[in-house]
Amino acid sequence: MTIFTFYLFDRNGTCLYYAEWNRKKQLTMSKDEEFKLMYGMLFSIKSFASRLSPTDMKEGFLNFTTSKYKLHFFETPSGLKLILNTDLSVGNMKDVLQQIFSSIYVEYVVKNPLCQLDQPITSELFKYKLDEYVKSLSAFQTSKTAS
Amino acid sequence: MSSFGKQKPSNLEKPIGKGKPEVNIATFALLFSEIVQYCQNRVHTVPELQTKLSELGQHVGSHMLDVIFLREKGFKREIKLLSMLIFIKSTFWKIVFGKEADKLEQANDDDKTYYIIEKEPLVNKFISVPKDKGSLNCAAFTAGMLEAVLNGANFPAKVTVHWHKGTTFMIKFDESVITRDKTVDSR
Amino acid sequence: MSRQANRAGDPRKVNGELFTLTYGALVAQLIKDYENDEQVNKQLDKMGYNMGVRLIEDFLARANMGRCNDFRETADVIAKVAFKMYLGLTPVVSNWSAAGDEFSLLLESNPLTEFVELPSGHNNLNYSNLMCGVLRGALEMVQMDVDVRFVQDTLKGDNITEIRLKFNKRLEDAVPVGED
Repeated sequence: MTIFTFYLFDRNGTCLYYAEWNRKKQLTMSKDEEFKLMYGMLFSIKSFASRLSPTDMKEGFLNFTTSKYKLHFFETPSGLKLILNTDLSVGNMKDVLQQIFSSIYVEYVVKNPLCQLDQPITSELFKYKLDEYVKSLSAFQTSKTAS
Repeated sequence: MSSFGKQKPSNLEKPIGKGKPEVNIATFALLFSEIVQYCQNRVHTVPELQTKLSELGQHVGSHMLDVIFLREKGFKREIKLLSMLIFIKSTFWKIVFGKEADKLEQANDDDKTYYIIEKEPLVNKFISVPKDKGSLNCAAFTAGMLEAVLNGANFPAKVTVHWHKGTTFMIKFDESVITRDKTVDSR
Repeated sequence: MSRQANRAGDPRKVNGELFTLTYGALVAQLIKDYENDEQVNKQLDKMGYNMGVRLIEDFLARANMGRCNDFRETADVIAKVAFKMYLGLTPVVSNWSAAGDEFSLLLESNPLTEFVELPSGHNNLNYSNLMCGVLRGALEMVQMDVDVRFVQDTLKGDNITEIRLKFNKRLEDAVPVGED
C-alpha cells in the first residue's frame, strides 16, 4: 500500500497545502495549474454526482478509482476540501482525512494566530505533524515492505 | 442609555466565589490569536509586539492578583521573596494555567535574578513561529502578567521572556526588594 | 513518576478568569486606540468574526455533525452544543419570529462581563460585541448569512442579556475560476 499525495483546498479554491510522499512521475504542468485543475474537477464531480443521485445526498462524492490510483475526498460543512491519493489497495480513508482536519489542521493552523486561513500554510508544525501522521498510517507503512 | 434607573446588583457586588467555570481552551486560544494579530497590525517590530503583549498581560495580571489573593489566601500577602516566587510557581500557575510551572531557578551570578521555566506555555501551545519572526515569543503576554502580579504584591520587578528550555521567564527584581528581603531575614 | 497530588486540570479547559480578564484587557486597549464607542464596537465585531471563522472549524472537528436542516435546528445547535462547548453555558432560545427567520438567545450570565462595570462615558459601547461577530463569522462559514446584535444587556441595566439573530440568506459555494 502507498500514499502518493495530499491536497488541502479552502472554500474559495485556493490550495492551502500540498504534500507528496511516493510520487514517482513528475508532472509536465506547473503545480499551480495542477491545483486549479484538481479543484475544478472536484467541483464538477461533486455537483454532477449530486445531480445524478436518486435521493438527496448528505455526504455526496467520496472517492474515485482509476487503474493506477484512488482519490479520496472529504469536505467539511465549512467547505474545506481534503484529498488523498493512494494506490488501489488502500481502503476507506474518510476517517484519516477527518483526523487530519480535526487533529492537525484545526490544532496547528486554525488556532495559530500567525496563520492566515486563506493563505497557503507555511507552518512548520503543521508540515511536521501531517508528515508524521501520514507516515504512521498502516496504508503508508506497508509500502516499504511491499515495494 | 435608557436603563439607568433600574436597580440591579452590579457585577462588583457579586461574591467572587470559588472561581469561575472554565472555558474551552479553543475559545481562549482564538481570542488570544485575535489579540496577537491586532497588536501585530499596529506595530512594526518583534520587540514592539512583545511589549504590546506584555502590556496587555499586565492589565490581566493586575486584576488577577486581587482575585487570587483574596480567594486563596484571604488577603494575606507574601512578604518573603522566596515564598512569593514559590507561590507564583505553584499556586498561581496552577490556578491560571492548570498546572505548576516546570521550574524555578535562581541565577548563579546574580541574587536579583530568577528564572521560571515553562516548556510549553499555554499561550504558545498553538503557535508555530515562522522563520522570519524567529525571535517572537507570545508568552511575553504571560511575562506581563507575572510582572503585574509581582509589582502589585510589592515585589517590583521586570519580567522578560526568552526562548530557552522552552520558554524562560527572566525575573529581575528591584534592588530594594533584595535589600528588604535581607532585613526580613535578619529579624 | 513523581506524586500525582498536583495533577494538572483538564488540558482542554482554561481558567475562566484568565479568559474574562484577557478579554477585558483587549476592550480596554481598544477604548484607548479608538476615538469612539462605535469604532470599538465595530472592531470587536470584526475580531469576533475572525474568531468565528476559525471557531467553526474547531466546532466541526469536535461536534462531528453534518449541516443543519433548518434555522430552528441551527438555533438549537448554537445554544445547546456550541455555547455549552465553548463558554460552558446554555442560553435559552426564544422569541421566534412568525416566519421562523429570527430568534433570540437569552443569557442569564455572560462570561465576558464577569467583574465588569461599563466604563463611564461609554454608554454606546457594546462590551460583548465580540460575540455577535463570532456568531456571524461561524455561520457564514456554513453558508448562512445572518445578522447578529445585542438587544438587551445586563451591563446596561437590563435584567437579561439578549442576542438577536436574523437569517438573511443561504450563501452559495464559490465557483472555480473559468467555470460557470
